[in-house]
Amino acid sequence: MFTQGARRKALAAIAVLATASLAMTACGKSSSSSSSKVLKLWHYESADSAMGVAWNQAIKEFEQSHPGVTVRFEEKTFEQLQKTAPMVLNSSNAPDIMEYNKGNATAGLLAKQGLLTDLTPAVTQHGWDKKITGNLATTSRYSNGVMGSGDWYGIPDYAEYGMVYYNKDMFAKYGVQVPTTFDEFTAAMDKFVKAGVTPLASAGAEYPAQQYLYNLVLSKADQNWVNQYQIAGKGNFHDAAWTYGATTLADWVKKGYIAKDSVSLKATDMGTAFESGKSPMMVSGSWWFGTFESEVKGFSWGTFQWPGNSLVPGSGGNLWVIPKNSKNAQLAEDFIDITLRPDIQALLANKGAVPVAAQTSDITDPKAEELVQNFQKLQSSNGLAYYPDWPTAGFYDSLVSATQDIVNGKDPNSALSSLQSAYSQGLTQ
Amino acid sequence: MAMAIPGRRRRLDRGYPFFLIPAAVLFTAVIAVPFAMNIGISLTRWQGVGPMTWVGLKNYQRLFHDSVFWSSFLHNVGLVVAMAVVPTALGLVVAAGLFDFIGKRFGPRTASVLRACIYLPQVMPLAVMGVVWGWILAPGDGVLNSALKDVGLGSLAHDWLGDPNTALYTVMAIMVWIQLGFPVVIFMAGLQRVDPVLHEAASIDGAGWWRRFWHITVPQIRPESYVVLLMCTIAALKAFAPIYVLTRGGPGTSTDIPSYYSYQNFFEKTQVGYGAAIATVLTVLTLIVTTIFIVVQGRHQDEES
Amino acid sequence: MARSDAAAARPRRGRGGYAVLVAFVLLAVFMVLPFGIVLLNALKTSSDYSTHGPLALPEAISFDNVRTFWNLVDFTHVLWNSVLISGCVALFAVVLSVLNAYAIGIGRIRGRLWILVAFLVANLLPQEGLVYPLYYLAKQTNLYDTRLAVIIVFTVIQSAFGTYLLSSVLSAFPREILEAARIDGAGKFRLLWQVVVPVSRPTLAVMLTFFFIWTWNEFLIPLVFLVSNQNQTVPVALGVAQGEHIVDVTMQAASGLLGIIPAIVFFLIFQRTLTRGVTVGSVK
Repeated sequence: MFTQGARRKALAAIAVLATASLAMTACGKSSSSSSSKVLKLWHYESADSAMGVAWNQAIKEFEQSHPGVTVRFEEKTFEQLQKTAPMVLNSSNAPDIMEYNKGNATAGLLAKQGLLTDLTPAVTQHGWDKKITGNLATTSRYSNGVMGSGDWYGIPDYAEYGMVYYNKDMFAKYGVQVPTTFDEFTAAMDKFVKAGVTPLASAGAEYPAQQYLYNLVLSKADQNWVNQYQIAGKGNFHDAAWTYGATTLADWVKKGYIAKDSVSLKATDMGTAFESGKSPMMVSGSWWFGTFESEVKGFSWGTFQWPGNSLVPGSGGNLWVIPKNSKNAQLAEDFIDITLRPDIQALLANKGAVPVAAQTSDITDPKAEELVQNFQKLQSSNGLAYYPDWPTAGFYDSLVSATQDIVNGKDPNSALSSLQSAYSQGLTQ
Repeated sequence: MAMAIPGRRRRLDRGYPFFLIPAAVLFTAVIAVPFAMNIGISLTRWQGVGPMTWVGLKNYQRLFHDSVFWSSFLHNVGLVVAMAVVPTALGLVVAAGLFDFIGKRFGPRTASVLRACIYLPQVMPLAVMGVVWGWILAPGDGVLNSALKDVGLGSLAHDWLGDPNTALYTVMAIMVWIQLGFPVVIFMAGLQRVDPVLHEAASIDGAGWWRRFWHITVPQIRPESYVVLLMCTIAALKAFAPIYVLTRGGPGTSTDIPSYYSYQNFFEKTQVGYGAAIATVLTVLTLIVTTIFIVVQGRHQDEES
Repeated sequence: MARSDAAAARPRRGRGGYAVLVAFVLLAVFMVLPFGIVLLNALKTSSDYSTHGPLALPEAISFDNVRTFWNLVDFTHVLWNSVLISGCVALFAVVLSVLNAYAIGIGRIRGRLWILVAFLVANLLPQEGLVYPLYYLAKQTNLYDTRLAVIIVFTVIQSAFGTYLLSSVLSAFPREILEAARIDGAGKFRLLWQVVVPVSRPTLAVMLTFFFIWTWNEFLIPLVFLVSNQNQTVPVALGVAQGEHIVDVTMQAASGLLGIIPAIVFFLIFQRTLTRGVTVGSVK
């Protein structure tokens, strides 16, 4: 036990320390004085992902071509930026350039509130609209917060699209051919089920399950349908496409194509199920490509497009946006231009991402070349249908919930009704 | 007894309120003003950025007719049981067991080690907790199901978090795991206040452990019991993070709770005005529960002294 | 109590005693098991995890994820931020609680129940309701993106609980001791400092521990307030393993482990003060 005097001294010391620390914390604000010599750049892609690697290279090239300017890069977490971007951009702490999500609920919202710099002049000056066309341009331009037309507010370096990953070894083992039509697809899955294998890896607690639903819905839809649902706000969840999608999904679970107990799994569990050879097929986006390339060592794998669909989930990737409060908009535009250069785009491709403007001759990895060629086919046929949760903010949770109900065997029509009310409610805000 | 020297008491009383001044200032700046602002936001339609549109009481009207909100309160009852009632009761027994029984027979260090282990779940970051319980409860080959199969109870193996019928109870069980350490630590600290002379006298009279627990320990530890019960109840009414991390309100809507609904509206749906209304209503309801609790506690304590 | 007395007074362990001990040990193991699983996965490589799943032992113990995470977020700095914030909050909140609880529990001022309820509102309010108003106020007072703002907010929130706990305990404070000290001529401040605080030490130690650990794990308000990476705390930095589509699970486990260890260390340090204490009897 301390003596009276010792205790008093200790407490005095603590008090002094605390006050000193407080003084330091108050002065410890990030230096807001930024000369035009520092470009503050934020993104949330992991350092070993294709984007991380390519953008690191772009930073090096930028610093080489702009002597006297240093790039101050901060690796952000996706969750922090999602929740706090409007608050940050509305303050003096905004970065000069940052990665942000595409869509009405995210980039559209910020554009509508005037928090993003209008990039249209830069686009014409650098000729970016020659590289970013069609569906990719749709997510880069916003008019009153709705994508598709209007001024340019963001530039994507890469794109994403949905496909079927498959385990070549397991296909060979069970004597299954790569399906080219929808009937062949279901026949292949029947074969796996008979052999006691769950053909499709899925995850109901996050985005994967709703992408299965969306793929089924898209098999009965066309580009006009997509625009009505995503842009015009006229989606009808009881139309032929949605009804087909929901009832077929329920049917697939009954047939054993998708395991019922995938309903509580997270996306990462789905990846593990595929990588460990538990399920021979996995339907998800191109963002898994690089991961599989580096992690899958036990079997050979490939991809094919969802049989019978001319539309698949997909869009331009996350956007580079320049906050209105950016202090170095010109430098930021230069950086964007560098990321669109052939060498950086080729780097993206060779690391397993889908570039927007790469020359196929620059791509050295054969798998990557296939990935890019499949994308270019979709691009030219306008086959990218965005993602099902885009129409209104927070629709993701409603979709997760409804899809879980469908997989759990509840009535598909009531699930669709709950989606309709959430959709309408969200759009009136 | 306190009334014996009335004049002196009144003189002393005048000084005490000054001790409240620092807290009052900070509280006003950090809580009262923002709460008032929150109420203000709840009277608007707002997306978190940009202009606010005045809608008066429309958000509250919408809330009172919102079946999702009110039906999710039923799930909250389960959470109150799992986060307040069970941990408090169980925690008291465990704390007394560790303090009196284990501490006396096996030494205080053993009791400390066991207490640290029991408290550990309180320290775990929630994101990690969600992932690890997902592994334990995984439907095919999670720890729990594998263990059940190994022991021959394979028929009990289940999709604990994926089946709407079991999801809420599973979450409740996990919440007990998380919360137990909090009452145990508080009670064990409070048990030091209990005069050991009382226990010695009772055991000389032949009272067994359970009777001593019920008649000596429980009454002596009453202040802490109230506090623990109330704080855990408030936590159960307010906390959404475990739901967010474990089930996100699913499967379907089977583990939805009002506080998660509030969070969703603030950040995911960016319907901040509506979210503010939900938060205000939640606060008022919790305030009512709290007030009742404190008044009851105050009356009990006045009776005792 | 002299040691020889204690030894003489210790009851026999007996078979019943061992049975109870086993029961407690099983409980402790059950509480700690998930941490073991986290540890297991923190020391795996990503491919090991994807091929063999979360419950297999690591093929080879690898500190890669720990190292990568540490360097990626500059963990030493993040750790210091968390220690600074949690430590300051713990200290200040205890001080504030002591002052409040003294007035309410010992002083028994009028309207104390309503004052208690008012203070508890700090704890009742869902934090998301506070976020936008506090963001606005922080911007106005130039405290946005500072650790000081976070310290102030949590001091108030945690002191609500501290006030409630301590005032409940102090209401049961034996009056004889207070009267004795008053008769000796002690003023209110001396009464607080030399009589009430020493006797309440176990409770204060509990509060200090809790405030530190609760603030350590706080997520939402640091997420909103601490924008620059140099100001961030551990829970915010842990989010780096969670990408938009892909979660780096083994890095998440490694980062979770790094995040837990300091809080555990703090708890173990303060455990010893939790058991030291002054019983009511010996003060007399």
